[in-house]
Amino acid sequence: MRVPHARRRSRRRERELRPVRRVRLAIPAVVGACALLVAAPALGATDVRRGQVWFLRDGEPVAVSRTAPAMPGLLRALLAGPTRAERAKRLRSAIPAGTDVRTLTIARRVATVDLGSRFAVGRDEASLTARVGQLVRTLRSVPGVVGVRIRVEGGVPVGLFPGYDLRRTVRAPLASQSAPTFRDTQQLLADLGFMAQTGVTGRPGDETTVAVLAFEKWRGMARDGVLSAGVLKALAHATRPEPVRHAPGKRVELLLDRQLALAIVNDRVERVFHISSGAGGRTPSGSFRVYRKERLSWSVPFSVWMPWASYFTGGIAFHEYGYVPAYPASHGCVRMMARDAPLMYAFATTGTPVDVLRGTA
Amino acid sequence: MRNRRAFLVIAVCALATAPIAAQAAEPSPQPSPTAAAPPVQLVVALGLRDPALDAGVVRGSEVLLARGYEAELARILARRLGAHVDRFVALRPALRLMAGAPSGWHLALAGIEPSRAARGAAVLSDPYLTTDAAVVLRRHLPRPRSVADLRGHLLCALRGSEEARTIATAVRPASAPLLSRSVDRLREQLRTGACDAALVPAIQAGRFVRGHGSELGPVAGRFPSGRGLVVAVARGSGLDVHAVNAALTRLRNDGTLGRLARTWLGLDPAALRTLR
Repeated sequence: MRVPHARRRSRRRERELRPVRRVRLAIPAVVGACALLVAAPALGATDVRRGQVWFLRDGEPVAVSRTAPAMPGLLRALLAGPTRAERAKRLRSAIPAGTDVRTLTIARRVATVDLGSRFAVGRDEASLTARVGQLVRTLRSVPGVVGVRIRVEGGVPVGLFPGYDLRRTVRAPLASQSAPTFRDTQQLLADLGFMAQTGVTGRPGDETTVAVLAFEKWRGMARDGVLSAGVLKALAHATRPEPVRHAPGKRVELLLDRQLALAIVNDRVERVFHISSGAGGRTPSGSFRVYRKERLSWSVPFSVWMPWASYFTGGIAFHEYGYVPAYPASHGCVRMMARDAPLMYAFATTGTPVDVLRGTA
Repeated sequence: MRNRRAFLVIAVCALATAPIAAQAAEPSPQPSPTAAAPPVQLVVALGLRDPALDAGVVRGSEVLLARGYEAELARILARRLGAHVDRFVALRPALRLMAGAPSGWHLALAGIEPSRAARGAAVLSDPYLTTDAAVVLRRHLPRPRSVADLRGHLLCALRGSEEARTIATAVRPASAPLLSRSVDRLREQLRTGACDAALVPAIQAGRFVRGHGSELGPVAGRFPSGRGLVVAVARGSGLDVHAVNAALTRLRNDGTLGRLARTWLGLDPAALRTLR
């Protein structure tokens, strides 16, 4: 049979167009598959081969790996608590045993978990806060989840979990108490009297270093001015220095063993200054009073200018000096940092008592 | 003809179902505050403002797993009134709901302080918990015996709080007080000695020092203000406010209120020494 010319042409054209159509059909399919692949982890549709479940060791959050099928599996692993081997490694869970999951859904990258009433059992605030932290950390570790909404018995917990407002989506667990910012540490040093409030900048600098050095001297630690873990730990529980002697009014205590000067008002230490006194015990101990003040004093025996000088006995004075090491280094005077000397000059007015003390530690 | 018959049928059906629809449209039966006899099952409203006073799970208007000083007091108070708490409902924010006429509750223990608005909306009982300002000292500071002893010290309080006002009006210290942004900052200032004594609400003083006993000084006393939190009794609820007052007096005298305060607030504000 002879095929008409027009029909033959149509068939040829159809054969030519077939691959193009295939490609056109394939594009949406590939796009759809990609979208599913991206969304799948968040939806919990595919297996999360290795996920993180968060427990506690000595109250601090610790992540352990679990091979669990998707988010519900991780949640079940969390509620089941640490294994026997993990318990042997001091891992604990604040979530009460027997807590059940009523529902677990995810929408717009926010996981909503509805738990049984056992989740809210107990009155220990630390435990209640920690269990929310465990739950949020575990669910947030699932790729694609950016927030967690917690419900108990289908309702919104209000005031049950200290530190968390569960009426809103929880984006992150509460920050650990053991990690203060640099600014927090500076504020702490200022609160304790080791530096001025103006030094709280959030940026490292010599003022902070000197404040740390003064704190180390007060606590009898190694005098290096470094904000080490040991210093941070000591700062976390430090209280403001107390004067050695008790007397009313304004006065200064010079602690030769600690190389510190305390500016005191009514038995309250207003400021602690890093100083360097006379080497080899050249600064005499005893009770004196400021008797002479010179904005810029000239030392005749040593031919040197001494700015902000407050003399309290003989030729011994508090004054500014360019080099204030962490040990006694002067010829008898009390060297002070350029930032601190004007403050001491303003504080120690004429007649202010100065108690120079050895052995105060 | 057919149309007219159909219309008639529809009209009859509509008339027949109208009462049922009307009944369904009515709000769910509230506790009957109009009953003459005292109710046996009480609906108690909670404020959910302070976790130590009351906390729970809010589902709709209902509060499940209610706990805290006021929730516990409501249960005990109900028993003393010969009734029991049927359910708790949320009253948030307390004042706005207090202004509403039909309450839907018999008693409200929602951190309510006596005010003209509150008195207009409900009958108020005697105070069950004082809202005085308490003084917490830094370590090593001698206990003040009077307000005058505090004047020479550096005081601190939360910025814009009632306690900051108390410092300005009742203490009038020699040096300007430190005003903190948050409770944590206030505690830090007291711990480090940046201030000598902090004024905090007596209700919160126990929680303020809890866990920091070795770093802070004692709660030295309170400034008597004469104010306190009261129970609101819904008008027409069948409950007698005198019976509520009598029950509260008995609870105070037998130490129940003090025990509740120590359990939920960390200390009994009423037991603190008053500073004058």
